[in-house]
Amino acid sequence: MSATADSPGLWSRLYAAYGLSGPVAMLMFALFLLVPLLPGEFWTHVGTEVLILGLFAMSFNLLYGYMGQISFGHAAFFGVGAYATAMLFTALKTPAGQIGIPQFLASLLAGPPVAALAALVIGFFCVRLTGIYFAMLTLAFGEMLFYIVFSWYSFTKGDDGIQGLLPPPFFQDSANFYYFTLAIVTAAVFVMWRITESPFGYTLRTLRDNQRRAAFLGTNVRTHMLANFVIAGAFAGVAGALWGPFSRSVNPGLLGWGESGIAVFMTLIGGAGAIVGPLLGSVIYTLLQAVVKMYTVYWPLTIGSVILLIVLFAPGGILGIVDRRIRAARAEGEAKEGDPGAGPRDAPAPP
Amino acid sequence: MSANILEVAGLEKHFGGVHVTCSINFAMQEGEQSAIIGPNGAGKSTFMNLLTGYHRPDAGKVVFAGEEITGLPPHQVARRGISRAFQVSSIFGRMTVAENVRAAVHAQMRATFRLFASAHRIGVEETGRVLALCGMERKRDLMAGELAQGDKKRLELAIALAGRPRLLFLDEPTAGMSIEEARSTMELVDRLNRELKLTVLFTEHDMGIVFNHARRLTLLHRGAIIVQGTPAEVRANETAQKVYLGEHHL
Repeated sequence: MSATADSPGLWSRLYAAYGLSGPVAMLMFALFLLVPLLPGEFWTHVGTEVLILGLFAMSFNLLYGYMGQISFGHAAFFGVGAYATAMLFTALKTPAGQIGIPQFLASLLAGPPVAALAALVIGFFCVRLTGIYFAMLTLAFGEMLFYIVFSWYSFTKGDDGIQGLLPPPFFQDSANFYYFTLAIVTAAVFVMWRITESPFGYTLRTLRDNQRRAAFLGTNVRTHMLANFVIAGAFAGVAGALWGPFSRSVNPGLLGWGESGIAVFMTLIGGAGAIVGPLLGSVIYTLLQAVVKMYTVYWPLTIGSVILLIVLFAPGGILGIVDRRIRAARAEGEAKEGDPGAGPRDAPAPP
Repeated sequence: MSANILEVAGLEKHFGGVHVTCSINFAMQEGEQSAIIGPNGAGKSTFMNLLTGYHRPDAGKVVFAGEEITGLPPHQVARRGISRAFQVSSIFGRMTVAENVRAAVHAQMRATFRLFASAHRIGVEETGRVLALCGMERKRDLMAGELAQGDKKRLELAIALAGRPRLLFLDEPTAGMSIEEARSTMELVDRLNRELKLTVLFTEHDMGIVFNHARRLTLLHRGAIIVQGTPAEVRANETAQKVYLGEHHL
């Protein structure tokens, strides 16, 4: 059974043109639209978390899946974005704790540029290295930022965090906030997808596959890596900006390596080869966490086992498995028809 | 009149205490097709690495098309029109054949910082031209990493040809190829040189290929040039016979 056999029209064409990202993104978007129709606020709340953390994980995957470098400090930019928004939010709200819609939107806009600036400074050093050295340096910088935020009471309120980020009344409704988040995440996915399908995006893939050769083609390896590091930081900042008003508070833990690990886990689970892979990973990770925590205290053990199974048996993540199946089915179909159809554009396996 | 496209003067390189390149003087005319030969460890690859910016020379000068390029990093050398293909195919394994070539075309067009344009619409003609030139159109949608050895080397050459370089370095272009593949690859190289006036410098261990496809030879031994000249001159040289050609029973 394959997508081609089921529906030879739209889905097959989408797959040929966009790889798995096209059909999966459309399917997920349709399902995301329906989430607030579920009874109770619980699932809407979980859905918002899925979207925000999914966006964070997708921004991480610009580094991992497309540029071939793993960062253990990506949460630094998620956290910096969250704090930038939280601080402006706090400055703009009335003494009674209320904030108008324009002020609220302005505070959200503060997150991405501040995160991008942090990424520019940190990236300047990190892009000089690759592989495990790149990973260790991002971890070191991430933990440095964490400790600065953790200990600088006068500026960041230290480990107390910043509380009372109650959005305007319209956005206090969980469905409204959910759809607002969905709109922003959808726009972000579209922009990230455009970037990964641009000459810049394919140049990143050459850096992932073979940096030395890329240099001999005339590509300045470091400037491209730095640009992508800043872009990934900015999108992490978008996710961070949404997090504060969503959870009504921010805390230093948002910058820590534990938070960075979440992006890595989501990407491994969903698949690094497609732009929406980490978003699917976020759905699975967040739902699993919600369910497991209802019944046991063994969440770390559970997620550890899941990651173990994925890494051992499905190194391309869930989308990697699906993509291999579809490729095999299409190859079989082509062999029968003798029609050399176009392959998908997404590469299924992680580096 | 044909000016020198490449001029190398007094080029030196040490690795630790080892003198791998000893005051090499070398020049190529535009449109020339030459070979560098020499036993293993003679310094052929190091010489190419010095010319393309992978290693920085300790002394000496490299001038390309009237401009000094000594010590420039590889990407800046590449942008000036010097291209190279590697002995062990160095391709982008998880991209398709067409994507490999297209990325090379984008790099030569300096389009790599276009963030919001569609990669599928830029440099398409040039990509098609290079694929056709190398006879790889039918394999355009295959994953580069899954190609057979000979095809990988073909793609290696195709990537080097993207964006119309002026000077092409080929490091053992036929290594690992079948006799048939090697023949058609060298025919392609001849055609590039003849029809597109591409200046070509290659290294090769197969003396049959060297004497058939190079109009001038340079014999390197222990980092220094032993003899330079036409194939007939090199063949007649006593030192050349002793240090290298003798092994090949010519």
